[in-house]
Amino acid sequence: MVELRRCKKCLLPETHESIIFDEQGICNICRQNEFKNEKIDWAKRKEDLRELIESHRGKYDYDCIIPFSGGKDSTWTLYYLMKEYKVKPLVVRFDHGFLRPNLHENTTKVLRNLGADFHTFTPSWKVVQKLMLQSFLEKGDFCWHCHTGIFSYPMWVALRYQVPLIFWGEPSAEYTSYYSYDQPEEVDEKRFNRYVNLGITALDMAVRLSGNNVDERDFKPYTYPPLKDLRKLNYRSVCLGTYIPWDVKMQSKVIHDELGWQGDRVENVPAEYNYEKIECHMQGVRDYIKYVKRGYTRPTHLASIDVRHGRMEREEGLDMIAKYEGKKPASLEIFLEMVGLTEAEFFQIAQSHSVSPWRLNLVEQEAGEKMPDFGKWTREGKMKREDAEQQLQNWKKSQ
Amino acid sequence: MSKKRLIPKLQLRTSGYNKKRMVLVITKQFGHVIEIGDPVSQAKIFQDQAADELIFINIDKDEKSVEKLASVIHQVSQEIFMPMTVGGGVVTEDHFRTLLSNGADKIAINTQAVKDPSLISKTSKRFGAQCVVVSIDYKQEANGRNLVYLYGGQEKTNIDPVEWAVEAEKLGAGELLLTSIDHDGMRDGLNLDITKQIAQAVSIPVISGGGCGLAKHFIDGFLIGKADAVTSGSFFAHRDQNLMQTRSHIKNAGINIRVHT
Amino acid sequence: MVGILDYGMGNLLSVYSAFDYLATNVMICKYPEDLAGVDRIVIPGVGAFKDCIDKINNTGFREALDIEVLKKGKPTLGICLGMQVMASKGTEGGDHDGLGWFDATVIRIHPTDTDKRVPNIGWNDVTFDSKVPLFKGLPDKVDFYLVHSFYMKTVVASDVVATYDYDFPVTAAVLKNNIFATQFHPEKSQDYGLKILENFIAWKP
Repeated sequence: MVELRRCKKCLLPETHESIIFDEQGICNICRQNEFKNEKIDWAKRKEDLRELIESHRGKYDYDCIIPFSGGKDSTWTLYYLMKEYKVKPLVVRFDHGFLRPNLHENTTKVLRNLGADFHTFTPSWKVVQKLMLQSFLEKGDFCWHCHTGIFSYPMWVALRYQVPLIFWGEPSAEYTSYYSYDQPEEVDEKRFNRYVNLGITALDMAVRLSGNNVDERDFKPYTYPPLKDLRKLNYRSVCLGTYIPWDVKMQSKVIHDELGWQGDRVENVPAEYNYEKIECHMQGVRDYIKYVKRGYTRPTHLASIDVRHGRMEREEGLDMIAKYEGKKPASLEIFLEMVGLTEAEFFQIAQSHSVSPWRLNLVEQEAGEKMPDFGKWTREGKMKREDAEQQLQNWKKSQ
Repeated sequence: MSKKRLIPKLQLRTSGYNKKRMVLVITKQFGHVIEIGDPVSQAKIFQDQAADELIFINIDKDEKSVEKLASVIHQVSQEIFMPMTVGGGVVTEDHFRTLLSNGADKIAINTQAVKDPSLISKTSKRFGAQCVVVSIDYKQEANGRNLVYLYGGQEKTNIDPVEWAVEAEKLGAGELLLTSIDHDGMRDGLNLDITKQIAQAVSIPVISGGGCGLAKHFIDGFLIGKADAVTSGSFFAHRDQNLMQTRSHIKNAGINIRVHT
Repeated sequence: MVGILDYGMGNLLSVYSAFDYLATNVMICKYPEDLAGVDRIVIPGVGAFKDCIDKINNTGFREALDIEVLKKGKPTLGICLGMQVMASKGTEGGDHDGLGWFDATVIRIHPTDTDKRVPNIGWNDVTFDSKVPLFKGLPDKVDFYLVHSFYMKTVVASDVVATYDYDFPVTAAVLKNNIFATQFHPEKSQDYGLKILENFIAWKP
């Protein structure tokens, strides 16, 4: 097995996107976190937050829009803004198609406890399937529809309701280096293009799917609205984490205690991390593909956060990684049905996206546990093999 | 030492599904064309990912290709604020002027530079050497020799790419763009040997392309091939990679490259 | 309204598009009298010093600039060659008088390391005076795109507000009263280049 170079401090490997090691062998994400803890005047940032909210309060149908999944970050964002600042938000959810039962319960609890208007949108499954397959083939990441939908759709809602202020949750500088903590991270088209949409806009995806029987209009929910319309609205699309320091452990505890928000078990992750990525039943497959491509996945991600915050020793982290990483998820069979692929094809496709120097040694893959709600994850809408065929054949010819 | 550069290659063609539309494509060994996006959309993405420059090549082979290219560049210029090299069917000084006035910064000439080498010196004098990029497509023959190919890989010549590169510099080229036809789209790495030979034989910057499939290939291009810049089309279109990711791999290998957040 | 000088030299399209993209009223000033109708002036330029200054002098723009820039004090931005002609003297292809707005001479860049090419074409890390409002909102480390063989060497050190290292400090930007000029191309330097233009639009000298 290929040994990956890791950050001397936090364990993130060289295949982690945008990671750069400095002369001490410490990664830029650790340095960004140091900056966050030592150099930011959080008191001033909080004051900026208050000003931002006040300058928008009461002037529009809603004080702000809060894009929401029901996971820990968006729930915290909603809770914090309503409790601390008493905003009247429009909560907007783009339903990626894989929300888990516990997540639905959480959403009901949270919304009933806090009281807010809720707008949810579920795109056509038939379109989603094609997009999942195409983006898995061409980018090794089947979540294109989710990435683009989650970040575009609320912007359309903002335009429709004419609500300029949009609050997202954590800044990406927490986990990657596409942005740093010393620059304000506007959640705009530049960020969308920089890493969110995997380098493919809806317009590009339409070109890639030409001849595949897709209506141009099907791409609208994944399209970022035109800048001139957003400018006319005087939009401000910001991260709450730019104004308050992000602390997922503290935040998850508060929403649990105050709102009854429940964590959930998540595939191939130690049980105590029950606040992470609980909203999607494809999380196990997604995490596994990352392992196939990059040689690390969620256990490394979680260990690195804890090590960085001094909650775990480096050795402990390495042990946890060795114990939990690399297991094939039980949900893989569901994924294969949804996109019409065989397991052999799955590996062939995922491996074609290997990130150097990692190369997966395809030996007998240890299987991970089924989650308790596995039986409730829908098996409706399987893709027929002949429907997947055209996309698959086109891809094979290009490789 | 100047920083090394990372340059996405955007190849244009009339869409097979809509004759009125230019789309971006990737190719395999200059054949098998796949449509992968919209020129303005992809250019914006690369700009937001902090590409150092962009290269647009129109691979259509008709009399209107420069006109169509100019039209695309004009549109792109409204939203793209970074250096752009453009080429594809450029034959005359007038073509240079048209493309420059539509927003291009550098013009790439390929076939015509071989057919009429005085074009290099004329345009270098008139527009400045920094505007003139000589593009060289080459393929390795069965006997191991590398030869220059013209008309987008269709016409074989008896010209050695290294000798031609040296000649092009003498004539006034400001930069060289090398593409390995055998490696193009094959994701098996650049032709490091030819890249290095040319990089060491000239003193103008050398951009190498054709074959990147892993971040490692870019690193090899700089460290082993001694290229000043590496360009790629398929890699950014068909891999779970983006410019900022690739850039960090390159930086971790100790190479002096622009880092942008 | 931002007015971009069209004196027959320079890639106007990119500069025009950049201001247009920033949602600012912008026009191309083909005639000297156009300058009277704008609030801010941009002098772009690509090519040789002598051609540039001759064109400005012979088209009536010289007189118009004296009034609009020097007398009326309109905020003015010079880019690349547009910056260089603001010097008292240029040495490219012989000695030529410039506009004389800065007490400076334009001389060839002279790196000692043979690996450093002339012309210098590419992105370079620029160090700048963060107190200057034209640089507001930039991170500590920024790079900008440059294409040049000559640079402006000033007599007054405080005129220089940004430099980059090419074995010696090369003037990257100058500032005096209502005149700001950059050797680099903000319209070719992506988001941070646009930021400079944004700051220029808001600038109250």
